[in-house]
Amino acid sequence: MESPDYYDIRHVNGIAVHIEIDNGRIESASGSFSDTALLRVLKKSGWGIVSIENYSSKSKKEINEYIQTALRYASATEEKVTLADAPSGILKVPKMKEDPREISLEEKCGLLMEIERAAAIKDVINTRANYTEGSGTVHFEDSLGHEYTYDICRSGYSVSAVAKRGDIIQAGRESEHTILGLNMRHKAEKGRKAAERAVSLLDAKPAKGGIMDAVLDQELAGVFAHEAVGHASEGDLVKEGVSVLKGKMGEKIGNGIVNVVDDPTLHEFGFMPVDGEGVKPVRTEIIKNGVLNSYLHNRQTLAAVGDGDAGHARAQTGEVPIVRMSNTFIENGDSSYDEVIAECKNGILLKGSRGGQVDPGRGVFQFNAEYGYLIENGEIAGMVRDLSLTGDILKTLHDIALCADDRRMNPGYCGKSGQNVPVTDGSPHLLLKNAVIGGMG
Amino acid sequence: MMTGAVTDAEIIDKIIAAGKKLGYETEVYFSAGRGINLELKGKLIGEACGSETWGMGIRVIKDGRIGCSSTNSPSRWEDCLKSAIAGSKFADPQEWGGVAKPSKPAVASLDVYDESIAACDISTAKDLLERMLSAADGIAADIAGGSSSISVGRTTVANSEGVSYSLEKTGCGVSMETISGTSTGYEFDSSGFLKDLNPEKVGREACEMAVFSKDGGEIATGKYDVILSPLSVCQLLSAVVIPSLSGRNVHSKRSYLEGKLGECVFDGKLSLYDNPFEGQSARLYDAEGVPTKRIDFVKDGVVEAFAYDLKTAYRYNEKSTGSAVRAGTGGAPVIGMHNFCLDGKREDIFDEKAVFANGIVGAHTANGVTGDFSVELSNASWMSGGVKTDPIKSAMLSGNIFDMLKNIAGISKESRDFGSGVIPYLRFSDLSVIGR
Repeated sequence: MESPDYYDIRHVNGIAVHIEIDNGRIESASGSFSDTALLRVLKKSGWGIVSIENYSSKSKKEINEYIQTALRYASATEEKVTLADAPSGILKVPKMKEDPREISLEEKCGLLMEIERAAAIKDVINTRANYTEGSGTVHFEDSLGHEYTYDICRSGYSVSAVAKRGDIIQAGRESEHTILGLNMRHKAEKGRKAAERAVSLLDAKPAKGGIMDAVLDQELAGVFAHEAVGHASEGDLVKEGVSVLKGKMGEKIGNGIVNVVDDPTLHEFGFMPVDGEGVKPVRTEIIKNGVLNSYLHNRQTLAAVGDGDAGHARAQTGEVPIVRMSNTFIENGDSSYDEVIAECKNGILLKGSRGGQVDPGRGVFQFNAEYGYLIENGEIAGMVRDLSLTGDILKTLHDIALCADDRRMNPGYCGKSGQNVPVTDGSPHLLLKNAVIGGMG
Repeated sequence: MMTGAVTDAEIIDKIIAAGKKLGYETEVYFSAGRGINLELKGKLIGEACGSETWGMGIRVIKDGRIGCSSTNSPSRWEDCLKSAIAGSKFADPQEWGGVAKPSKPAVASLDVYDESIAACDISTAKDLLERMLSAADGIAADIAGGSSSISVGRTTVANSEGVSYSLEKTGCGVSMETISGTSTGYEFDSSGFLKDLNPEKVGREACEMAVFSKDGGEIATGKYDVILSPLSVCQLLSAVVIPSLSGRNVHSKRSYLEGKLGECVFDGKLSLYDNPFEGQSARLYDAEGVPTKRIDFVKDGVVEAFAYDLKTAYRYNEKSTGSAVRAGTGGAPVIGMHNFCLDGKREDIFDEKAVFANGIVGAHTANGVTGDFSVELSNASWMSGGVKTDPIKSAMLSGNIFDMLKNIAGISKESRDFGSGVIPYLRFSDLSVIGR
């Protein structure tokens, strides 16, 4: 039998629990089971890969057969792959305050219902809440003798409300996700907050688009750090030439007050104890004092590109590990929130996020705020809705004029190459000069 | 596929028998398949991935309480059934008229199986890449990546009323990502049949797109005539219009179209329908075993129907439209589309000068309830007489998709078949474009 130059196997044996409540009714409370592994081999050239379902039942003999199949696939590849050396190791998974798996489905339904019912206020015509819990055992082993096993449980909820008055319909949403245990107790105020936002948006005016100075709140500025900076710093995109940050290492690409970090070791939602190829996760400073300092890498892209840290490979269950962000944020500056608003003078405050997208090769990003406020004479004025922000990555980083000292982190999910992984984005309030704002007013 | 000594059909029978014995209506949705996926890294094949998939979703119902669960381990079917039953105990009861009963399909058969793909040979996937790359040869764009894939799979829906329908289908696809300076290009194609796939076109167009969009000019903020490509139209329809046609969203008041049945809400030349008998997603029965049919959602601008699965139909005293798909959590059926088509009076829409949007960045950030959106255009250009003239560097498009569909300047004669939808180019007048 042929033997590979290198192989690794990442197996996830997991359970997902999901509860859905719609207008006060429990629509579903379900559990599902997965047992999937991904096997990668290297021989001479590129990766031969096999995804294996129902992995636990496989015998040693069957796994060897899968390795032979993967070797056959590998022989069809052409790219020469070199893996950089990177310190292997595993971090401790933080202890949970209250393990969601030990709470009955009935109690979890009740807690979610409290949050959902709190959103049913005047003018609200629909309320909805979801709870998700994904837990499982991850096992990694490679042909170098590294072997790691860890158990992690990620859980959280979202609540949304739709308000209507006359012909105007608006929506509000709140969500929280964590690795630190059940987070649904005494959270009715989150349901109320989502509902109150939907109702107050009924009176908000559509924003007027154009070029203006803007203040980004912590959540939207976090999305900016993730979409505009984080993706472009991913080593696979740099390697294939589809990042505007390619060839910019050591160059000043932003205002000197801008520091951007990706840190998978933080106990936030994007935490991982060991990366998708057995490398010990490390904090990586992507931008330091406005200068491009590091790319995010896996072992292959580190060898091919250099300038950065491996330990950023992640994979959805049963998928190929690729370079991903984890907990990505802009560091605090030394301005206060009040100074940021006052310095903006006349412009717009963008709050919350409905998501975003980036074309890292072109260097263009787009994302939507949930709502906002006009800033007039350095003070907050009327509420506005349906706002978006676009820009060129390299120009925008120079246009960040002030960073406040009030960083906050927001958990969510990031999609890339069809894979979703848990992440956290964060930032303090930012003042962005000459922002391109989209609006319908 | 055999799983140990027990066949898949035997597992399905066992689950239904066990569920029935406990007094539950029981339904199993089962899928198994295999595929090959090749990934280009630059111009070279960097990854070759083979997969064998096996998964099933179980749904049980008793006294109007519904429970679901799913697994990809044949040996865990008992845990999965237990989990579905446990979940059903917490679900609030609803009106329920029973799982689907055996019935005849609306058409006799479907053509969704290509013998030449079925072997899932790696050389077939390699050949697709070679054809795509050779068509790209000589065009001054860098190939950043790409892929080819072939797959074969079987889905079965079976229930305690004796329904048992299987469908075996094949699929193939290619994509290419390119860059020239900081101008990017992307193109893709997919089909159920190898002969219908056009890797040469994908390779050529992905490269030409990156080259053409180089050195784009600025556009001044203002109102312009805009032509949206089928892909751009598809992105906006998927984000806003398709969810608003779901019977569940309508009855839950989360749809802009709630209370508008029978009203002329759209432009008189617009029709929207689901045609489940064509395309790569074609099927005779939906994911609950209900026969599929053509659904005319919007006819000549008038809202005529919404989409229903069994659960929503029973609850609101409607009839299932055969619109169940398995995309829900825990293997639950939800309302979806099989092959969504936009049609209407076709005309030549390319004569007059307009802004052309090849794609949209951030369609998913649109307001799904109201239809308001504000997106960045990708590979935008000026278009005149059907020819893309000068590229536009960056432009943002703001509008409301429902307002736009009330007043369409024109629907093109040409359509693009996405496999799960057939969509033409649309022309609009006076849309807001924000320049830099």
